[in-house]
Amino acid sequence: MRRVVVLSFLAVVAALILPRGAWAAEPGTSGGWVGPFAVIAAGIGMAIASGLCALGQGRATASAVDAMARQPGAAGRIQTAMIIGLALIESLALYVFVIAAILLFVQPVK
Amino acid sequence: MEAIEAPPLFAIPGIPDHVTYTWVAMAILIVVSILASRRLQLVPTGLQNFMEIVLEQFLTLLDDVVGHEGRRYLPLIATLGLFILTSNLLGLVPGLMAPTSNLNTTAACALIVFFAYHWIGIRKQGLGRYVRHLCGPVLWLAPLMFVVEIFSHLARPLSLSLRLFGNMTGGHILLAVIFSLTLGMVGWGASGSLAGVLVGLPGSALLIAFTTGFLLPLKILVAFLQAFIFCMLSMLYIAGAIEEAEHH
Repeated sequence: MRRVVVLSFLAVVAALILPRGAWAAEPGTSGGWVGPFAVIAAGIGMAIASGLCALGQGRATASAVDAMARQPGAAGRIQTAMIIGLALIESLALYVFVIAAILLFVQPVK
Repeated sequence: MEAIEAPPLFAIPGIPDHVTYTWVAMAILIVVSILASRRLQLVPTGLQNFMEIVLEQFLTLLDDVVGHEGRRYLPLIATLGLFILTSNLLGLVPGLMAPTSNLNTTAACALIVFFAYHWIGIRKQGLGRYVRHLCGPVLWLAPLMFVVEIFSHLARPLSLSLRLFGNMTGGHILLAVIFSLTLGMVGWGASGSLAGVLVGLPGSALLIAFTTGFLLPLKILVAFLQAFIFCMLSMLYIAGAIEEAEHH
């Protein structure tokens, strides 16, 4: 547990130091220091969002398949409800994807 | 996105690409409809048979979700569904572009649904009763419920448009990244060095097999699924706007 904490602390420190070095190596390209952090934020945010989205979708699908196995007659309706639920869960991850795409491509803060 | 995705094959200067390809999708739909309904027969054959089957799927869904009044909304739902499906499938053709991979197109579709279901609900039960349903069943919770309901209704077009846009754009970016990876692998394999021949050639074969065997079928599935989900949620919103009248 402590190793994980130390490792993540080191990762954060490295994330804080390294992009500054990369920026300092070539000044005058884009001007700001936010850009590298935006790339890191997009990657980490997308990873967290898709991981949690996978957990939620897995739970939903598992109980839907369970229900379909118990009640094969209602399989069609259960499947429709499952697809709607999956779409609603997935849209939360897609919000993060859109924000990540904005951070990477639009770059509102340089 | 232009940095990653290749521009489409033909583009009219001065007109954004997604507008051009929206007209392409519309032209495809119009031509197919005219061909299917040119000589209507009582016992349909060929294209007319196919289009009738497609529309019957929409009718079954409407009957299931909205109820016995659902068939009135067939033009809205079927137009949205066929347009979104055609647009999604256009993006799978190399050199063409999916109009739904631009937020403006999906936001237009979602706003149409937003205003349509409010209009249907207000026409069905009157402005006063429709607003009263936004306030919830308990009187002293009404100020809170009204704000919450307004925000949940405003989130619907947002999530509708972002879901379609995000799925399409995400798939395109994924395909573009895999394609550039494959090009690099093939170049490494063709360079003639020993490591290139040993690693690059099997790697590029693996990547090509992965793309054609898994990614492209997945994208076809996503294209159908997203069109289905857009129609399904629109029908659910319409059903919610109508059904509140029947409870009271």
